[in-house]
Amino acid sequence: MVGFVPLGKLRRGQIAEIHRVHGQPEHVHRLEELGIRAGTRIEVFRPGNPCIVRTAGNKLCLRTGDLVDILVRPAAGDGAI
Amino acid sequence: MASSDPHPPFSIALVGNPNTGKSTVFTALVGGHQRVGNYPGVTVEQKIGRAMIDGRACLVVDLPGVYSLAPRSRDEMITVDLLLGRRAGATLVDAVLCVVDASNLERNLYLVSQLLELGLPTVVALNMVDVARGQGIQIDVEALRQRLPVPVVEIQANRRLGIDALRRALARLGPEGALGRGEIFPETFRRAVAELAPRLEGRGCCRRARCRGRVCSQWMAQRLLLDVGGYLEGHLAPGADNPLRGELADIRARLVAGGCPVPNVETQARYAWAKQILEGIVTMPGRREPTTSDRLDRVLTHRLWGTTILAVVMFLVFQAVFVWAVPAMELIEKGFSALGGAVSAGLAGTSLAGGAIESLLVDGVIGGTGSVFQFLPQILILFFFIALLEDCGYLARAAYLMDRLMARVGLSGTAFIPLLSSFACAVPAIMATRVIANERDRLTTILVAPLLTCSARLPIYALLIAAFIPPEARVAGVGVQGLTLVGLYLLGIVMAVLAAFVLKRTVLRGASAPFFMELPAYHWPTPRVVAFRVFERGWVFIRAAGTIILLVSIAIWAALYFPHNAEVVEAPFAPRRAALADALAAVAPGDPAQASLEQGMAELNAEIQSAYQRQSILGRMGRAIEPVVRPLGWDWRIGCAVLASFPAREAVVASLGVTFHLGPDVEDPLPLGERLRAATWEGADRPLFTLPVALSVLVFFALCIQCAATLAVIARETRGWRWPAFTLAYMTALAYLGALITYQVGTWWMG
Repeated sequence: MVGFVPLGKLRRGQIAEIHRVHGQPEHVHRLEELGIRAGTRIEVFRPGNPCIVRTAGNKLCLRTGDLVDILVRPAAGDGAI
Repeated sequence: MASSDPHPPFSIALVGNPNTGKSTVFTALVGGHQRVGNYPGVTVEQKIGRAMIDGRACLVVDLPGVYSLAPRSRDEMITVDLLLGRRAGATLVDAVLCVVDASNLERNLYLVSQLLELGLPTVVALNMVDVARGQGIQIDVEALRQRLPVPVVEIQANRRLGIDALRRALARLGPEGALGRGEIFPETFRRAVAELAPRLEGRGCCRRARCRGRVCSQWMAQRLLLDVGGYLEGHLAPGADNPLRGELADIRARLVAGGCPVPNVETQARYAWAKQILEGIVTMPGRREPTTSDRLDRVLTHRLWGTTILAVVMFLVFQAVFVWAVPAMELIEKGFSALGGAVSAGLAGTSLAGGAIESLLVDGVIGGTGSVFQFLPQILILFFFIALLEDCGYLARAAYLMDRLMARVGLSGTAFIPLLSSFACAVPAIMATRVIANERDRLTTILVAPLLTCSARLPIYALLIAAFIPPEARVAGVGVQGLTLVGLYLLGIVMAVLAAFVLKRTVLRGASAPFFMELPAYHWPTPRVVAFRVFERGWVFIRAAGTIILLVSIAIWAALYFPHNAEVVEAPFAPRRAALADALAAVAPGDPAQASLEQGMAELNAEIQSAYQRQSILGRMGRAIEPVVRPLGWDWRIGCAVLASFPAREAVVASLGVTFHLGPDVEDPLPLGERLRAATWEGADRPLFTLPVALSVLVFFALCIQCAATLAVIARETRGWRWPAFTLAYMTALAYLGALITYQVGTWWMG
């Protein structure tokens, strides 16, 4: 059973699926426009906060904080993003 | 471009996500026929190019790269207004060209889906199919063409492939908008929009005949519902107690109950549409192999190696800015003084010679603009490197690396690029803060940027350091002169950090905004794009700084020249001058006494100059503020020179020259430096410039704003005089305190 963790807790190279982006609607909206939304699979390129993640189409640098947070479900194996 | 033109050119808006090669497409379409202008009535920049497309005169408007048409700031609203045709006087857009990145089609189609709702003829340019293929992404372009309701053209903008096909597609566009996309939003949401739309009809709606307010009001109603806390809310329903706000809250609550929570309903609907379009068209690779960009990023975003490389890159850039610019700066300076000389020579013998007009032209206009143009080489070189690093994708990595540091003072990595530019000049730096999404962060960056040492501070640093710090003085083997210069740079940086820290905790307090940024794949910079960006920035600088500094130079010249009461000023010197003239006439040519008499005459003239200055408007102001600057160790003459440099700090070297009897032309800093060392308090033998005094002047210049152009740009960017007034007040207070502490501690230290 794998639980949900904040994005910043993932290790380098770990693959996860975004479970929920929550926080102020305007920031959630902007993240979703960038492609960071529930169901997106990401791979951590640089862990931490700010972190760099790879999605299917691109690479993004993200720093969450007081106003918005990203919860992810780490993938069990290391399949593709 | 006026709408009254009988045959207005066909105007095409160029839209796309950032980093899709939009600028390259723009340059390929219009070539050199482009210019940067402002939207009528506002100061948001727009880039316009002219092109003949299959015999039709076209106007291409390059809009800023966006991920979405949801307006979050006034600048973004202006882009949207342009597309909707809501801005009176602005170009009425006839068609849309959207550039999409093939390697990230889903997200790019999100923007396309918004554009299709504008009801304008649209062409989609599918760029970078080769890059996508390199990543193992297969795209069935033919099938995509079938499914999208608008023409799709495959291009490779960087190699100029497919541009002709793109031109043909644009030429074939009819007057009608894209149709046949169908509704993508759920019924509940559409009913809510239909309910709200009539309320917005006639509120600055568009000027297109076929719209008749419907497209606009529908579109705005949709955005008003979706963008919680967006720009439209504040624009259409200002004030927290606005009745429209209550209504919006009610409708949104109903939408949640009906299973359509905003803003999620939009992203759901649009991504579902994109997914449906791309179903079976795009094949992603089973396993993504690391790309060249990934391999580069292993090193370049590494906490240790990446940061080290960033430091080296910055060092090299500044080295280039300061070393390469020197010959060009000298050339410009010589050119302007030659121009001044030519004007003087041209006026010689006319009734204007030696009068106020000559002085205004030579000292005020030519000298003033020359002092601005002199900084152009440094600014162009810095912007060349910034454009180069930006175009190849490195600056986004630099922002990532700096974010950790910037977050400590409450800013984000995006503030790094404007602050970097500020080391050359605060004017373009403040304009570059537009990339910062968060308003409070942007304002903080604007307010602290002028603290960083711009190149206009260097002349005064060079003059005073050379004059008062002995070149042989060393601390641990390092020259004290160099250390002082580094110290002044550090002082600016430390104060900027402290100011940002304090501002973010007091005046501009707020929760720290999240930071998201795309890291585009690295690619070789496109020379044309880099060249145009440098040209564009240089031009903006000349326009913004040139006009203001020209006005200010004239004002300072007038304050130093007037009231120019020759009878009153020269009367006390008349007997001495007559005696000297007689003596000069009496000595035989070649007599050793002649040289000393001529020297005496020159000194007398300098004294007269200084007497003029003493009774000029500026001189009177200098004497009036003497009690205030006394605790800094300054006399009225230093006060005067500092006052004269408030509008433009680079003027200080020239005004020190005038003040300390040297005439306004200061060719070489050394003689002025010697003059300064020899200067004494009036009526006393005590030297005026001791080391603590020189340091106190240096610290004052390091921390004070002293730049009318910067204040004017702050006023323009913050739309009002409140923030420039605040900047002037806080930086002057900081500079005064810094100079006071420096002088008092310095005096005590030296006994």
